[in-house]
Amino acid sequence: MDIQTEMTAPPLSGGLDPAQAREAADAVRNAIYRATILLDSQKWDEWLALCDENFVYDIKAWSPEINYDMTYLHGSRKDLEALIRLLPKHNTDHSPLTRHTTVYTVDVADDGATAKTVSAFIVFQHLLDGTNSHIDSGESRLFLVGKYYDTFRIENGRALFTSRETRLENRRLDKGSHWPI
Amino acid sequence: MPARNHTQWMATPPLQKGEWVDSRVYTDQEIFDEELEKIFKKAWVPVCHESELPKAYDFRTTSIANEPIIVTRGPDNEVRAFLNVCPHRGMLIERRPSGSFYEGQPSGNPKRMTCMFHAWQFDMKGNCVYISREKEGYQDRLPKENVGLRRLRCEVKFGGFVWVNLDDNPISLEDWAGEPFQCLRKTLEAEPMEVFHYHKAIVDTNYKLWHDTNCEFYHDFMHYHNRVTGFNDAYFARKNESFEHGHIVVGTFEVNYDQYEGFESRAGLSFPHLPPNQWYMIDLFPGMNFNLRGSALRCDVVTPLGPNKVMIEFRGLGLKSDTPEERQTRINHHNSIWGPFGRNLHEDLIGVQGQGTTMRPGQEPRRILHGRQENQTIHDENGMRHYYDEWGKWMNRSPSNPELPYSAPAIAAE
Ligand code: FES
Ligand SMILES: [Fe+2]
Repeated sequence: MDIQTEMTAPPLSGGLDPAQAREAADAVRNAIYRATILLDSQKWDEWLALCDENFVYDIKAWSPEINYDMTYLHGSRKDLEALIRLLPKHNTDHSPLTRHTTVYTVDVADDGATAKTVSAFIVFQHLLDGTNSHIDSGESRLFLVGKYYDTFRIENGRALFTSRETRLENRRLDKGSHWPI
Repeated sequence: MPARNHTQWMATPPLQKGEWVDSRVYTDQEIFDEELEKIFKKAWVPVCHESELPKAYDFRTTSIANEPIIVTRGPDNEVRAFLNVCPHRGMLIERRPSGSFYEGQPSGNPKRMTCMFHAWQFDMKGNCVYISREKEGYQDRLPKENVGLRRLRCEVKFGGFVWVNLDDNPISLEDWAGEPFQCLRKTLEAEPMEVFHYHKAIVDTNYKLWHDTNCEFYHDFMHYHNRVTGFNDAYFARKNESFEHGHIVVGTFEVNYDQYEGFESRAGLSFPHLPPNQWYMIDLFPGMNFNLRGSALRCDVVTPLGPNKVMIEFRGLGLKSDTPEERQTRINHHNSIWGPFGRNLHEDLIGVQGQGTTMRPGQEPRRILHGRQENQTIHDENGMRHYYDEWGKWMNRSPSNPELPYSAPAIAAE
């Protein structure tokens, strides 16, 4: 059900009552916004704490150039933990990223145990290194634009990410990034 | 030596000519313009892969040395290349990066390349087959037979890559790159491949600096991944072999992927005819790279945009016969290292951008050292020396002082 129906529609047979549906949707929405803030502040472990044990993460993009649905990054929760643990070993662009996320739709399943969402995001890169930090630092640039397709498990009023598909519109990615988006 | 004053900084290093280049080869606009004319308009460039235009009437657009190019597949299954320029008033014939001419366009018929401007139409062989109101405007003075497209040399080779040359009379592609491809030829030609990855980077650096990074492995010190999965005796014994025309090949060894946390061996999905977890690298003059890490092939193509600007297109390829599961595994293997969010590519791009920052038009010329001699093994810089010697010949300039004409280096470039 979309946000509209979640507010107004009567419960489906065997479904949630509107108050429960609203509560579940709120929990889901909060999880998405909390994830945005934690990713922005590079609190990777706290971000992963919002995710289920079976969490799967993907960065994908459709390429009209090669006519192929591409996967730029794929990882289980365990893969992401390793990736995050090894970040200090890698040489990474220091420019922080911040995301502007807007949750478009929240569909809570009839049993109230899972949910699916679609959110739009824009990621800005706030240049620190830039090309020449003397000139470029302090400038903000559009880095990525796309949509999050998230799924959740809802338990005791808490929403845990079970998957995140980050779908990019831009395929000119220049230096790219070592960080989850 | 302590930090140096200006005179010391500018002094000739205690190395032989050929063991360094002058940074003006990366920064000078005149040299850049000359490179497009003398090198890129005469070299074979792998502009795309045949799997990007799988069906008759599919097309792909690209460019070399500022010239827009269209590649099409005809109903006879032949892949051909043309300038993507209308012979009438110079409109770009096709604007999209890829697509099909099978369906009609707003200005034209199915199975035709149509210029949207005044609806001139061309078939897949580049013949002009229709001029709108031809007789009324040109009477008998300019028949459509005289206004075909400009066809370009084009071959599908070395694993299905589509090679284009702007020169009408180039060296044959076989003679150009057959030797360096020898080490992987059986592998790349065993069965059809398919592109599964594409992205591009535009970086403020010279195109040769990207190619240099692809040619030298000494920079494994900036890749944590390579240090833990690579550095062993077999790794340091890898040969850096030079071939005619400025190409180099880096020989293989067995990579220990499981030394990097979260990574797995790529043995299960080795390319045909290869032992497990091998890593071959073919670097072609003037800036194309084929990099096979066990289960996935990567291809980089540079498009120079200015002395201090380059576009790099990255492709990843697997076997067309892959099951969906195999394909996904190959993609993960490729992108965990080489994708835009992978471990190594980001580091490589930061590296060349940093060089681009210290080597911009107008900056004081510097010496860039290519003088490591290690018996032509992996951390020897013979690959770059070999490349710049070739560059010097094509440009008739001396890489160590580009104002002087070419002369052979003191130590023969291996
Ligand atoms: S410019 Fe192409 S038809 Fe006129
Ligand atoms: Fe590298």
